[in-house]
Amino acid sequence: MEMAQMTGAQTTGAHRRLALKFVGSGSEYFRIWIVNLLLTLVTLTLYYPFAKVRRLRYFYAATEVGGQPLSFHADPWKMLRGYLLVGLMLVLYGVAGKVSPTAGLLAFVIVALVWPALWHSSLRFRLANSGWRGLRFRFTGTRGGAYAALAPGFVAAAVLVGLSATMDVRPGAPDPSFTPTVMALALLPLVFMLMAPWLLWLLRRYQHRHYALASEQTQFSVPLRSFYGLALRVFGLGLLVSLVAGVMVAVLFPVFRALAGGGDPTRALSFIALLPLLVMLVLVVVFQLALRPYVTSRSQNLVWNGTRSEHISFDSQLRFWPLLRLTLKNWFFMVITLGLYFPFAAVATARMRLEAVQVLTRSDPEELLATLATHEEAAAGDAAGDLLGMDIGL
Amino acid sequence: MNLGRTAGGEGGVIQALYFDGRSARGQPVLLHVDGSDLCAQAQSASPQDMPPAPLRWPLRSVVWPERTRHGQRVVQLRGGGSLQVSDATAFDAWRLAHGARESWVVRAQQNWRAALIAVLGMAVLVVAGYHWGVPALAQGVVALIPPEVDRSVGQATLAQIDSRWLSPSTLPAPRQAELKSLFAQAVKAAFPTGQTLPAPDYELHFRAADKRIGPNAFALPGGGIIITDALVELLQGHDDTLLGVMAHELGHVQHRHGMRGVVQLALVGAVTAVALGDFSTLLAGVPALLAQLAYSRDAERQSDAMAVQVLRAAGKSPAVMVLLFEQLPKARGDAVAPPIALASHPMDEERMHFFRDAAQGR
Repeated sequence: MEMAQMTGAQTTGAHRRLALKFVGSGSEYFRIWIVNLLLTLVTLTLYYPFAKVRRLRYFYAATEVGGQPLSFHADPWKMLRGYLLVGLMLVLYGVAGKVSPTAGLLAFVIVALVWPALWHSSLRFRLANSGWRGLRFRFTGTRGGAYAALAPGFVAAAVLVGLSATMDVRPGAPDPSFTPTVMALALLPLVFMLMAPWLLWLLRRYQHRHYALASEQTQFSVPLRSFYGLALRVFGLGLLVSLVAGVMVAVLFPVFRALAGGGDPTRALSFIALLPLLVMLVLVVVFQLALRPYVTSRSQNLVWNGTRSEHISFDSQLRFWPLLRLTLKNWFFMVITLGLYFPFAAVATARMRLEAVQVLTRSDPEELLATLATHEEAAAGDAAGDLLGMDIGL
Repeated sequence: MNLGRTAGGEGGVIQALYFDGRSARGQPVLLHVDGSDLCAQAQSASPQDMPPAPLRWPLRSVVWPERTRHGQRVVQLRGGGSLQVSDATAFDAWRLAHGARESWVVRAQQNWRAALIAVLGMAVLVVAGYHWGVPALAQGVVALIPPEVDRSVGQATLAQIDSRWLSPSTLPAPRQAELKSLFAQAVKAAFPTGQTLPAPDYELHFRAADKRIGPNAFALPGGGIIITDALVELLQGHDDTLLGVMAHELGHVQHRHGMRGVVQLALVGAVTAVALGDFSTLLAGVPALLAQLAYSRDAERQSDAMAVQVLRAAGKSPAVMVLLFEQLPKARGDAVAPPIALASHPMDEERMHFFRDAAQGR
């Protein structure tokens, strides 16, 4: 039925395409970034929410949809409260794990219980503080929905944490090679890998079926199998990339072994400790460079092309090769400028990703929203004071 | 679009789109300031009609946008409405004409000189943080960590390296006992009872190791000190030097270098993550790694000081340590000297000087 409506709309020529345009500049964002970064560090990160608001304001205001800019209105003081709360929680979580395994397990359970509520609150906060054409967006998902979306992931993680807590790893303990616990622990990463597309799909579905503007409310129509299909292609590309990485490690290994030296006290030990890190480093570099642009482009297209409301849909055509070239360029300049190129990279990436998207509407958005919005209570009213100012992002 | 600049009056008027917050339809208005109010005057439908009464908001209730070079301006009004101005340059001039005062952050953001100062400030902060901030902070954090944590980390590490790289020592038990008591006496002499600073708890372990580890000694968090058989053999007949090596490792134990390393790694990683976090977690990790290697050089210097202290207390000359640096390169054989950035130990020359100077009481 939806297909019939779509084709009907196209034949009558009622579709309008609103282009996304990003007008921000790297040099301007550089100044904003460096000034706010300095303030953040000088204040021992207490300034962070203020820096974040400035960054988001700049990026929102520089994003024009059909010639009209997005806007971001959050109160940084509210966000400071949320930032301190989340920060305190994460510090306690980190400390608890160091004190004893039981305390760590308890902290994990507490975080798992609180996190979905924080996520939900954060989504509402972000959307309620974003606007376009004087209208505020809304996030209409429920707190219960957030728990349902995150529950499978947390259950799997809880099983992992629980199993490793019960395992006896003290020296002198009986050889654990064949106990069922160890077998389960060995299988869990595999289970996680198989679950990952599903977990991600649950997450995205919860987000993308609850965005609202005026009386437009998005639906998410990407089937689960598309996520698995994408995961399979990423896995295949990953194998290819790992092969390349393997060759790189093989080339680098003798160099580092020579550096490890023979008898100097502690140098050999530090080499042994560093070796897995070096392998990780090489793997991460290759994955970041090749795999990440692929995942980014394909999942952006998949998710946004499958998101639509009654009168609005999206057309995202982010291409892999240009994004890969941009990523390589960004990395090159990031390295030779010791990170100072970062704001230029961020702006260029935002531009490419945003300008790949077009918004399709069935009628003049001005008319459409104006007539429908009158049925709504004041759209701006949702920035309710009970929101904690969470903006954790996921 | 130049209406804003050409229209006269106090500070002129400016063109804007008024949104009431309920409808997506914008209404073209002209903005001007009247006393303590911001007024938006809609144009009348036809020239003959009387213009409608202007909308008014107290200036104090208006949330003004900050100045940027790119992008449009959105003014937030009480009651959920907003005003959108596409001619940002005209708007900024209009605001200035009305005595708008910008925060110094906004002015700094729009000023290349300020940005350059911020870059320099960052550089100073990074250097200072790297030299003093991170080590001091790490020391403070480590002081908060209970010693039991060190011990459990140390035990776990020992169990792990025991299973992979080490095997039980082949040194005769009497020889092990002799070295242990030699060290215990020297430590006792260096930290006499009643002194304010007690000797750190330690435990000596002798282990056999393969060629990759060779003649070696290292300290674990919590007080474990491992001496390889190869080192004892290398320094055969030079128990004083061996004593110095053990005291050096005791220095690592006393300063809790193992735990400090972990904390410092986390701190440097966290700071770089704040700066570059949303771009890449990997780039955040590299400076942490490099900083760690440099911090461990400082740790070696601190531990060499401990070696001097214990050797002196035992009535030996710190110069005995020079032998270690003469013997080690031979034992190392053909291993290549590492480049500076990766050298986690001060150059041997420098350390030999340190012990020679200490021997002469300097």
